[in-house]
Amino acid sequence: MNRRTHGLARHTALLTAAMLALGACTGAGSADDDLLAKAKAAGTIVMSTDPEYPPQSALATDGSYEGFDIDVGTEIAKRLGVEIKFETPSWEAITAGSWSGRWDFSVGSMTITTDREKVIAFTEPYYFTPAQMAVEADSTIASVADLAGQSVCVGAATTYQQWLEGTLDFGTKTPDVAPAGVEVVALTTDRNCAEAWQAGRRDFEGWLSSSTTVQGAIDAGLPVKQLGEPVFAEPLAVAFDRSGPDPTSMVTEVNRILAEMHGDGTLRDLSMKWFDEDLTTSTGD
Amino acid sequence: MASVGHHGQMQAPVDQVRIETSAAMVEAVAQSRRREQRRFRLTFVGTWLILCLLIVGGLVAANKIDLEFLGRWQQFILTGIPVTIVVSATSIAIAVVFAILGALGRLSPRPVIYAIASFYVSLVRGTPLIVQILFIYLALPQIWEGFAGVPTIVLGIFALAFNYGAYMTEVFRAGIEAIPRGQLEAASALGMTDRMTMRRIILPQAIRIVTPAIGNEFIAMIKDSALVSLLGVQELLWRAQRVGTQNFRALEALLVAAVVYWVLTIIFSVLQDRLEKRMAESDRRL
Repeated sequence: MNRRTHGLARHTALLTAAMLALGACTGAGSADDDLLAKAKAAGTIVMSTDPEYPPQSALATDGSYEGFDIDVGTEIAKRLGVEIKFETPSWEAITAGSWSGRWDFSVGSMTITTDREKVIAFTEPYYFTPAQMAVEADSTIASVADLAGQSVCVGAATTYQQWLEGTLDFGTKTPDVAPAGVEVVALTTDRNCAEAWQAGRRDFEGWLSSSTTVQGAIDAGLPVKQLGEPVFAEPLAVAFDRSGPDPTSMVTEVNRILAEMHGDGTLRDLSMKWFDEDLTTSTGD
Repeated sequence: MASVGHHGQMQAPVDQVRIETSAAMVEAVAQSRRREQRRFRLTFVGTWLILCLLIVGGLVAANKIDLEFLGRWQQFILTGIPVTIVVSATSIAIAVVFAILGALGRLSPRPVIYAIASFYVSLVRGTPLIVQILFIYLALPQIWEGFAGVPTIVLGIFALAFNYGAYMTEVFRAGIEAIPRGQLEAASALGMTDRMTMRRIILPQAIRIVTPAIGNEFIAMIKDSALVSLLGVQELLWRAQRVGTQNFRALEALLVAAVVYWVLTIIFSVLQDRLEKRMAESDRRL
């Protein structure tokens, strides 16, 4: 009895101390106006990642993270001369901006879109993935056009959802128009769509995701097949929050690092390691 | 009684026999009842075991369970147990503080304090817990930036404590009201102030009265703590869900999480039962 009260008291004391310390931290502000300066001063940079997205990001059995995005983020931090840490918020929370400083950047295969540009500051693309439509292995649907009037599953707040809803805009060039009258089923993350099929659910006929994710499901033995050619190719970039400390100098610095990583073959090697193909140059279609 | 006195002398041997026979009968009845109880308990445990075996055996036999996956990931998922327990225990401890303050407020004769306490209870009980958790995580930092720096586990604990504190306010109020008025009068006769009476006489007894109820809330909290997985706190459910989706093994991962929550609640229910019995015993001694 006594021990337990002690335990509780200790927890409470620790928490109170933590809250006080945090309260003290937030009082500061002057040196935090520039993201790059802030990261260098702290010696760490926090990256957000969605570990339900292999081979870009996944959990290892020891609780660490692994994947293409994890390797790229780690290499960027190394070349910035800081330690990297990871946070795992939901994808929607990442693309919505207003990170409130909970994490500093996203190396999360985020597509550069005009919409996101309003709240997110992007670097140049670090790689490109084709968006691939998929159907169940025994489906009779023969082409993407046949999905008109059917329902298609996507990860919530992805470019795949925006494309189907007709709101996707890369700024530079517009992808082909999506099939008309598609009913969108948006789940928390892309893989949930394949999981639903795996569980025997027939709530939708198609699934739109990156070719790497679709391939991952096929490799895992799920009853999924690719449908036709990729529907569009996406430029994927490192992202920063516009509402936080000014990311301008950080974007410049990370752009320099990415150019370096493109140039010395680091990115190509990582792409070969995780995707078995080189996705680091624009498909140029 | 009266009739025994009347025929006392004459019927004594007969009564003796009757008493002996009835004693034997009582013993026999008691014995058969004990036997029945034991059989009941055995059947109960046996049925549970068979049900568990049927479910698990059925799933394994039907080749629905990937044992290799379980072997590889069980350690990672089970590492969430201490997180779940620490989150639940800390939340309950803080909820007790909220509940005491809430109860004192609800019993206060001062209208403003009573109103504030009632506002708290009404606000919390009138909104879903999941809305409160998301609000504290996503919305509060937009009101005051300082919240953004608070680690998500602290936010999660605060949200759970804030919620449970409101529900436990009523429990604590009942506990405080259960102290007989005579004790208040005695305390004031001894010259104690209201505050002293509350601190030295009422609260110690009230807390003791509501201890079993706190145990119940703790068990409920273990299950509700799964909601903080939404904030990325890496407790049991968060781990199970991520690993399940990542490997397309939702069945195995969620099964593990469900079994662990179940076992945890069973363990704490047994402990809670014992605590309740022990407290009831010492009450009898009083």
